[in-house]
Amino acid sequence: MMQKLSENILDKFSMDFLRNQVLKNAYGNNDTVIAARDPRVLLVWYLFFGLVPWFVQDTTFLLGCFVLVMITTLLARVAGLVLLLFAVGVFSQTGYLLIATWLFGGDASAVAPLLVLTLKVATISLASVTVFSGLDPDRLANGLMWFGCPEQLSFSISYAYRILPMLMEEFQNVLLSYRLRGNPPAHDTFTGKVKYLAYQVRIIMAAFYPLMLNTAKRSRTTVEALELRGYRYAAQNKTVRRIRLAGLHLSWDDGIFAAVSVLWVAVTVLLAGLV
Amino acid sequence: MNPTQTKTMNQSQKLMVFVLTMSLYGLATLFTELIPKFQVGLVEFSVEYFLFIPLVLAMLFDPLSAALGAATGELVFSEIMLGQFGGLGELEKFITVTIGVYLAGRLVRDPRNTRMVGIAAFLGTGAQLLMGTIVDICKVQFAVEDFEAVAGLPESVFATEGFAFLNDLLFSGIFFCLLPTLYLVPRLYGKIEPLLGMSPRTPETAAPALSGKTLAGCAVAFVCAVVAEMLATSGLELIDWEASWAESGTSFAVGIIVAAVLALAVLVVMKKKAEAK
Repeated sequence: MMQKLSENILDKFSMDFLRNQVLKNAYGNNDTVIAARDPRVLLVWYLFFGLVPWFVQDTTFLLGCFVLVMITTLLARVAGLVLLLFAVGVFSQTGYLLIATWLFGGDASAVAPLLVLTLKVATISLASVTVFSGLDPDRLANGLMWFGCPEQLSFSISYAYRILPMLMEEFQNVLLSYRLRGNPPAHDTFTGKVKYLAYQVRIIMAAFYPLMLNTAKRSRTTVEALELRGYRYAAQNKTVRRIRLAGLHLSWDDGIFAAVSVLWVAVTVLLAGLV
Repeated sequence: MNPTQTKTMNQSQKLMVFVLTMSLYGLATLFTELIPKFQVGLVEFSVEYFLFIPLVLAMLFDPLSAALGAATGELVFSEIMLGQFGGLGELEKFITVTIGVYLAGRLVRDPRNTRMVGIAAFLGTGAQLLMGTIVDICKVQFAVEDFEAVAGLPESVFATEGFAFLNDLLFSGIFFCLLPTLYLVPRLYGKIEPLLGMSPRTPETAAPALSGKTLAGCAVAFVCAVVAEMLATSGLELIDWEASWAESGTSFAVGIIVAAVLALAVLVVMKKKAEAK
C-alpha cells in the first residue's frame, strides 16, 4: 500500500508532468475572465492586494481581501501544481513558526498574531498567483513595459516561457543518457540507499556540464539573432515601444472588474468599521 | 589571435552571459521550487541552492552580467512563472543573490587556481545566506505585532533562523555549491569561452581586484534591501492607515461604496451601448 502510494506520487512528479503543468499554467488558460483583462489594470490591482494587507491588522478586512483573491484565483483557473506550491509556501513561511513557538513554550496568545500573519501571506500570494499565472506571458511583459520596467525584464519573461520547455527536454535527455551509461550502486540496504541518493545528486550536477555548453551556444545564437534585428537600439527607441504597446487597450469589462474590486474592498472596510 | 576573440567583453557578449545564466539558473531554481524538501526533525535536507551555476559562470565570464542574470532568472522562472511572486520580498532576494554571486566572481582572478575558486564559492554562498538570514529575522520581528510580548516567539525565531543558516551553509554550501563549482570550473575553463567568442580569463584580463569601494557599494545595496523591507513592514506610522479609518471609517467606506456602485452602473450601461452599436 505504502509502496504503491509512493510510486503513484513519483509517477506524478515525472519531468513530463512538470513540463505540462508549467506550459498549461503559461498558455493553457487564455479564455478565462482574468486572462482577458488588461495587464495594466491587473498590475495596479496586484499592487493594491500585494501591499495593503501588510499594513493592515484588522482581521475582518484581511478576511474580506482573502475571499476576493480566492475568487479571482478560481476564476483564473490556475494549474493544480501552482496551488499546491502556494499551500506549501504559506505553511513553510508561517506554519513552521507556529510549531516552533509551541516547542519553545508559547501558548494560545502566540497563535492569534501568527494567524493574522498567515492570512496576510496567503492573501498576497494568491493575488500574485492570480495576476502572474492568470495572464499570458506576452501580455504580462507588455504590461510591465508600459509601467516602465527595464526592457530586459520583459524580454526575460517572454524568453523564459519560450526556452523553458526546450531546456527541460534537453536536461532530461542528458540525464537519461547519463543513466544509460552509468552503473548505479545497489540500493537494498540503508547505506546503499544513501549511496544511491548521492549518486543521483552527482549525476544531476554532472548533467549541467553538457547543458552549460549547449546553452552557451544557444544563447549566442539568440543574442546574435536579436542583434541582427537591432534589439538593443529598439529597446530604447520610443517609436518601437509605441508600436509594441499599441495592442493594449482598456475595455468596459476592465472598468467593471476594477469597480467590483473597489466595491468589495469598500464593503469589507465598512464591515471592519462596524464589527 | 582570432579577431573575434576579444579580451574584454562587448555589450552583446554581456547580454549572452546574461541570457545564459538566466536560463540555466532559472531552470535549476524551478526544480528546487518543485522538488519537495525532506525534513528530519529540524534538519532540512533540501537541494536549496543550485547556486553553483551562476557561481561557475561568474568566475568564467563577466561577474556583474552573470549575477544580474541569475537574479533575474530566479525571479522570472521560479517566481513569476509559478505565480509565487512575493512583492518586496523578491527585491531582497534579488539583491542578495546578485551581491553573493558578484563578490564570488570578482574574487577569482585566475579560474585555474583551484583554492581561490573554492574559497570564493564558499564565501559567495555564505554572504548570500547570511544576508538572507538577517533580513528574515528582521521581517518576522516587524511583521508580527507585539513581537516581544508573544511568549517564546523571539527565541524560536532566532533559533530556527540561525539553525537554518548553519544548516544551509554546511549542507547546501558544501555539497551543492563548493563541490560542483570545484568540479565544473576547471572542466569548463577554456571550453565554454570560445562558444561565446571570448578568450578565457587570466589574471591580466580579469577585472581589478576587489576594492573597498566595491565592497562599500555592496553594503549600501544590502542596506537598501533591508530598508525597503523595513519601510514595507513598519510603514504603518508613515501612512497612518488605521488611524484615519478609525475616526471616520464608516462614512469613508460608505462614500467609496456609493462611488463604486455608481461607477459600476455607468460602466455596465456604457458597455451595453457599445455592444449595441
